[in-house]
Amino acid sequence: MTQPANAPRRVWPNRARAGGGLLLALAAMCLAAIVFLTFEITAELRFLGSADSDNVHWTLSQAEVEFLELGNAIDHARVSGGSRLDQVVEEFDIFYSRMVTLSSGQLYAQLRLDPGFAGPVNTVRAQLDAMIPLIDGPPEALWAGLDEMATQLEALRLQVRNFSTAGLQHFARSSDESRTSIAVILQRLALVTAALLLALAVLLLHSRRIMARTSRREKELGFAYARLNTILETSLDAVIVAGMDGRILDFNSAAERIFKTESAAVRGKSIGEVMVPEHLRAAHEAGMDRMRTGGEMHVVGQGRVKLEAMRTTGEVFPIELAIERATTEEGDLAVAFVRDISRRVASENELVQARDRALAGEKAKAEFLAMMTHEIRTPLNGVLGNLSLLNDTPLDTAQSRYVRNMGISGKLLMQHVDAVLDVARFESGVETGREETVHIGQLIQDIVDSQSITAQANGNRLTWAWSDRPVEWVRVDASRLQQVLVNLVGNAIKFTRDGQIMIEAEAHEGADGLRLDLRVIDTGIGIAPDDQARIFDDFQTVSEAQSKSINGTGLGLSIARRFITAMQGEIGLESTPGEGSVFWLQIPVTAQEAPGMPEAQAAFVPTTDLPPLDVLLVEDDDINLEIAQEMLGRMHHVVTPARNGQQAVEIATARRFDLILMDIRMPVLDGLEATRRIRASGGKSADVPVIAFSANVLPEAKERFAAAGMSGFLGKPLKGAELSELIATFFARETSAQSPPPDAAPDASAHAPPASPGRFDTLAARHSAELVVFFDDISRASMDRAEIAERAHKLAGSAAAFGQHDLRAALVHVETTAEAAADTDGLQAALTAARLAWQNAPAPHIG
Amino acid sequence: MRAIQMIPVMALAMSVIVAALPASAKTLPQPHGPVLLTLSGEIEHTNGDGTAALDLEMLREIGQTDIETETIWTDGMHRFSGVSLKALLDYVGAQGTMIETSAINDYMVEIPVSDAVTDGPIIAYELDGKTMSRREKGPLWVIYPFSSSSDYRTEVIYSRSIWQMDRMKVK
Repeated sequence: MTQPANAPRRVWPNRARAGGGLLLALAAMCLAAIVFLTFEITAELRFLGSADSDNVHWTLSQAEVEFLELGNAIDHARVSGGSRLDQVVEEFDIFYSRMVTLSSGQLYAQLRLDPGFAGPVNTVRAQLDAMIPLIDGPPEALWAGLDEMATQLEALRLQVRNFSTAGLQHFARSSDESRTSIAVILQRLALVTAALLLALAVLLLHSRRIMARTSRREKELGFAYARLNTILETSLDAVIVAGMDGRILDFNSAAERIFKTESAAVRGKSIGEVMVPEHLRAAHEAGMDRMRTGGEMHVVGQGRVKLEAMRTTGEVFPIELAIERATTEEGDLAVAFVRDISRRVASENELVQARDRALAGEKAKAEFLAMMTHEIRTPLNGVLGNLSLLNDTPLDTAQSRYVRNMGISGKLLMQHVDAVLDVARFESGVETGREETVHIGQLIQDIVDSQSITAQANGNRLTWAWSDRPVEWVRVDASRLQQVLVNLVGNAIKFTRDGQIMIEAEAHEGADGLRLDLRVIDTGIGIAPDDQARIFDDFQTVSEAQSKSINGTGLGLSIARRFITAMQGEIGLESTPGEGSVFWLQIPVTAQEAPGMPEAQAAFVPTTDLPPLDVLLVEDDDINLEIAQEMLGRMHHVVTPARNGQQAVEIATARRFDLILMDIRMPVLDGLEATRRIRASGGKSADVPVIAFSANVLPEAKERFAAAGMSGFLGKPLKGAELSELIATFFARETSAQSPPPDAAPDASAHAPPASPGRFDTLAARHSAELVVFFDDISRASMDRAEIAERAHKLAGSAAAFGQHDLRAALVHVETTAEAAADTDGLQAALTAARLAWQNAPAPHIG
Repeated sequence: MRAIQMIPVMALAMSVIVAALPASAKTLPQPHGPVLLTLSGEIEHTNGDGTAALDLEMLREIGQTDIETETIWTDGMHRFSGVSLKALLDYVGAQGTMIETSAINDYMVEIPVSDAVTDGPIIAYELDGKTMSRREKGPLWVIYPFSSSSDYRTEVIYSRSIWQMDRMKVK
C-alpha cells in the first residue's frame, strides 16, 4: 500500500531536538577543549621529551669537577717538576670548553639572564682567556707561570661554586613550574573529559530514547499497515491503485472477485485495457490526461460517480466509482474504489417497472371510474328531469309522495355519483386547483347561511367566529375550501342532535407565510378512537351503530383530505365519543388587498317580463330534449328542436333564432363544431347567443365552449330556475338597456353575465388575472399565432361582458391580425395597441 | 637478448653471496698523522693489535658528510663536517650492536649501532670549515642532525653527542 498523503509524519518533538542540539554543541565544545589541552600537553611533553636540557645538573657539577681536575693537574705538575705539563694543558682545554658551553651555549641562554650565574661565569671565562697565551706558549713559560696560575685558580674557586649553585637553583625552579603547569593542564583535561563523558552519556540516553520511540512508531506503523491491508483485502468494494500512467499497482481481492481476474494477471497493465468498456475508453484516456496535466476533474475527487466497467469476461456492468488522488514519495497515485451495483440497478429497474405498471393501472382505474360516473350522470339526469316534469302534472297524494321519494333518492344518487366523480377526477389529474382572491369571512358566512336550515332541522345551532384577529381577503383555492367546509359542516350536522356546531377561524403568521386554521366543532356523538385513524380513507363510514340513520358514500372526508393535501395543508380530527368532535384543517394562504367592488347589484335582473323567444334546441337525447322542450314551452318560448350539430347548422343558417341551446356531445357533428360553423356561416343566426348545454361541468370544458364561440353555459340536469335566469340576463338587458353596444352583437359571449354577485367577483377577478397572464406571456414567450388568436378571442369575449369595450375592440383586432397572415409587424402593432387599451380599461363591471 | 638479461640477475646473485659470507678481515693502512680516533672491539678491519687507529687524513678518506644544525651547546646555526657513523662502522667492519664511546676526560657513553643510519650522526672534525681544537670540543665531536627532527632533540641523544671523543669500542 502507499502511504497516504496526509499520514502523520514522524515528528521529532521540538524539545528533544533542542536538547539533542544543545548536548551535541556541548560535546563539540568539550572535544575542542580536549584537543586544545592535548595540544598543550603534547607541547609540554615535547618540551620534556626533547628537553633542551642535557643533564644540566651533571654539566654544572662537571664544571666544578673539571675545575678541580685542572687544579689537580697543576699541583701534580708542580710536584713532579714540570714533567706533566701536557696534562695541565689538556685539563685546561677541557675546562675551557666547558666554560665556553656555559657562557655561549643556547641551553644556558635563559640561565645567563640570572646575574648570579652570568657574573661568575663571565669572570671565570675572562680569567681563562687571560691564561691562554701562557697555556699555548712554550712549556718553560708555562712552568714558570704555574704557581701564579694556581693562585689565580684558587681565587676562582668560589666563583665556580657560585655559578654552579645558581644554575642548579634556577633549573630546580623552572622544573617545578613546568610540573605545576602540567598538573594544571592535566586537571583541566580531566574536568573537560569528565564533562564530555557526561555529555556523551546524556546523548546516549537521548538517542536510546529516540531509538525506542522510533521503533515503537515503526511497530505502530506496521500494525496500521497490516490493519489497513486487512481492511482493504476484506473490503466489499474493489480497491485499485494505479500510477499516473494508468498502470495498476494494487488490486485487492474484492477487485479480483468483481472483475473476475487475479491480481497478478493485471498488475502492471493499464486500467483502460483491463476494466474500461470500449465505448468509454476515449473518455477514460481523456480523464487520465486531465489528471496528469492537472486539468478539471470530472470523476477524481468528485465522490461517487455511476459508470460502467468491464469484467475480463467482456461483460459490461454498472459500477459506482470514487477516485481520489494521493501524493506519495513514489509520486502521485490514483486510488479507485469500485462497487459492483449491477444487482442494485437490476432491482431498481424492476421496482421502476412495477411502479409504472401500478401507476398505469391506477390511472386506468381512475379514468374508467370517471367515464362510468359520467355515463351514469346522463341517464340519471333523464330520470330527475322527468321527475321534475311529473311533479308539475296533476298527481294524487300517494303519487306525490312517490315522486318526492324518488326525487330524494335520485338526488342522493346524484350526490354519490358526483362524489365519486370528484375523487376520480382528482386522481386522474384532470382537476387542478385554482386560486382566487376571496373574502374568507364571506366564504364562511355563505356556508353558515346555506347550511343553517339543515342544521335547524336537526335542532342544531350553527355559528362561526374568528378566535383572534380576523383576516379578510386572501388568495386560496376557494371552491375546494368551500367544498371541504361544506362537507365537514354537513357531517357535523348529520351526527349532532340538538347541539352546537361552531366554525372557528384563526389566522397566524408562520415561518413560511400566513396560515389559516379552521375548526369545525360539534357536540355530537363523537368518533371512536378506532375509527379516527381510518376516517380520512376512501369509502370509510363510521360503524353501523352510529350510522344506522345516516347515509353516505364514505368519500367526503377522503376528498377533503385530498383537496387539503393538494393545497399543502393539513387536516385532522380530535374526538371523544359522546362529547363531540373537532375537525381541524390548516392551509397556507396569501393575504390580498381588497379588490375594487363592482356595481354588482346591477346584474340582478327581474326574471319576469321576458318576451317569448324563438329558441333552437339542439339535443340528441330524446328524454333530455323532451324535458328541455317542456320547460321552455312552459316559459312560453317557441322551441325548434334539432337532433345533432349538422341539423342545427343547417337550420340556424336558414333562419334567425333569438337563442340557441346546444348540447355538446352529439353524433354526426358535436356542439362545439356546430357552434363554430354557425358563427362562421354568416347565416341568419350567426350572431345569436349560443348556450352550451352539457353534463360536463368541468371548468376546462366551459373554457373550450367559450373558445368555440359559445356565449353561456347551462349544466344538466336542466333546472327551470337556472334556465330562466340565464335567458333573462341575455334578453332583459336588451330590452332594458338604452342601446346595445354597437359592436357587441356578433360576439354573443358579451352577454355572459355573472349568476350572482359572488360569482361575478370570482369571474371578474379571473378575467383580470387572465389578462395579466396573456400580456405577460406575449411579452415573454414566443407564442404561435393560432394560440394568440384563440386567447385574444376569449379575452375579447370577457372584456365585452365586463364593459371594457375599447379593450375588446383591440383584442378582436389582435385576433384577426393573428389569424390573417404572417404579418408580424401588424400583429406587433395590434398587440401594443391592445396593451395600451388594457392599461386604460375600466375595472370589470356589468352594464 | 637472453644473455643480456642474465647479467643483472647474476650481479644480484653475486652481491647476495658476498653479503652472506663473513667478510674477510682486511688490514687498514697505518696512520701518518696524530691518531685522532682508536676503534677496538668487534671490528674486522684493523691496522694492528685488533684496533683501528685513524688519523684525520684517513677519516677524510672514508668520505665527508656535512650537517647544518643548531646545538644546545653553541649559539646559532653551524655547519659540521665529518665522517658519518655508518660509513665509519662500515669502514672498520664493525659487527656489534653497541659502541662504547669515550672522551679525552674519560667521559663514556654508549651509542647503539642502530643509530648509524644514512643522514644520521657524524663524527665531526670541522666546524664551519675549520678543524676544531680541543678547547673548541675537538678534535672529534659526535653530532646528530638535531635541527632535522625532534627525534634527535632528546636528552638521550644529547648525552650521546660526545665531544673531545678519542675512542670507540664496538660490542
